[in-house]
Amino acid sequence: MASHAVVIDGLCKKFPTPSGQGEFTVIESLSLQIACGSFASIVGPSGCGKSTLLNIIAGIEPRDAGEVRVQSQDGAHSGARIGYVFQSPRLLNWLTVEDNIKFALEAQNIGRSSWDERVAKYLHMVGLAGQERNFPLKLSGGMQQRVAIARALAIEPDILLMDEPFSHLDEITARKMRVDLMQILEHARPTILFVTHSLREAVFLSEEVYMMSVKPARIFKHLRVDIPRPREPEDPRLFDLEKGLVKEFFAVLEQDFR
Amino acid sequence: MKLFRPEAVPGFLSAIGLLLVWTGVSLFFLPTFLPSPLALLNQVISIFSHAAAYLVIGKTLERVLAGLVLSMLLGSLIGLVMGLRRSVESFFDGWIMVLLTFPSICWAFLAVLWFGLSDIAPIFTIVLIVLPYVAMNIWEGAKAIDKDLSDMATVFRAPRFLFLRKVLIPQLMPYIFSSLRISFALSWKIALVSEAFGASRGVGKELMYWFQGTRADMMLAWGASFMLLMVAIDALVLRPWENRVFSWRPAAV
Repeated sequence: MASHAVVIDGLCKKFPTPSGQGEFTVIESLSLQIACGSFASIVGPSGCGKSTLLNIIAGIEPRDAGEVRVQSQDGAHSGARIGYVFQSPRLLNWLTVEDNIKFALEAQNIGRSSWDERVAKYLHMVGLAGQERNFPLKLSGGMQQRVAIARALAIEPDILLMDEPFSHLDEITARKMRVDLMQILEHARPTILFVTHSLREAVFLSEEVYMMSVKPARIFKHLRVDIPRPREPEDPRLFDLEKGLVKEFFAVLEQDFR
Repeated sequence: MKLFRPEAVPGFLSAIGLLLVWTGVSLFFLPTFLPSPLALLNQVISIFSHAAAYLVIGKTLERVLAGLVLSMLLGSLIGLVMGLRRSVESFFDGWIMVLLTFPSICWAFLAVLWFGLSDIAPIFTIVLIVLPYVAMNIWEGAKAIDKDLSDMATVFRAPRFLFLRKVLIPQLMPYIFSSLRISFALSWKIALVSEAFGASRGVGKELMYWFQGTRADMMLAWGASFMLLMVAIDALVLRPWENRVFSWRPAAV
């Protein structure tokens, strides 16, 4: 069994400048290891390259240098299953909820005989049992994002990438989704790499928090959150952690912008 | 369904008005030059009561469908690769412009010169005139493909064929249907013109025959008959099909 689900070593990424002349470095020699089965968050300000990092891991964005390995539980480098929950649901609106999940199952070459069982299991898990035949546009934004989470979980990924999945929702819905996500993960436990700009969200959800600075992106702080689950969103220990991190964050950001 | 709808009143009144004016004007002319609506209706009924008419209409319909299917298939294919591949775009760009700007009537005559009196002439003419419209339309559609969804499909490792069926083609459906409507309307008009010069049988040939006999009433009757058929195909085939394909959209408010 491999001990790390994701190993990133010396990753570099450059983008062309908006003027078209020259390039600027988004990510510079970034190294990171995510242990199998852990819930890791990367926190950083908007535009720091968090989404770019996830896209490189997912293989939809090329990298300029360095190594990125995603390993399946049995240690194979190729064929690791990657689930992705994007900021917006990115559902296929012309397919029913059920068929959206089956799309991912078919894409991953998962045997047809297990489809119905998986659809039922994961829709139930995200609280959408009974919505199988509905079309996405008939559902609320929060429910659509739940479908996207069920789709990503249904392929039973080796790593689940989540890119600010609750940032497009209103705060009340987002809060409910976070608590529900905790419950879901008691039943399905893939390795998770969660990207967010909210320290509170990161400390509430994760076991490992990585803090990222801007231009170029690098990780300046790693923190373990040892508070056992289930956690309460109002747990004072979480507030204390968050307060400490905010202080450090601004110290580093001020250095960066000086 | 309600039988009386207030919003339909103006349309109903204008139809009645037209029929009255038409009847009035027709009193001053010979029935073969400008028939009254009632006389025209009689002619249409007499056309449909002869078995031979169905053979004639069937022949024309056959050519319309062949031309339509060919231009939709070829046009969609060309439009699709043009939208997805830059190099192909510039390759076909000039050809599309040539086809769009070349006079349609030239194709109709040329086809008769080249292919003689056959099925090929009208089908050839339809394809050359309709294909560029289809290609342009699908090209627009292919350029508007949602990159976020394509990325999603890539992350989940959707194979090419699955991507085509479930991600790409559904996004093109609105463009495919608008192309189909334009093509259908164009195809049968082109078919009639082409048949008038270059066919031994067909609705266009009938029109030419009655034109040479200076029988305006029969020309109108054939035109109206064919129009009725086309309206029926639109209402009974195209519209229900379209509604079914787009049933996933929330009802417009």
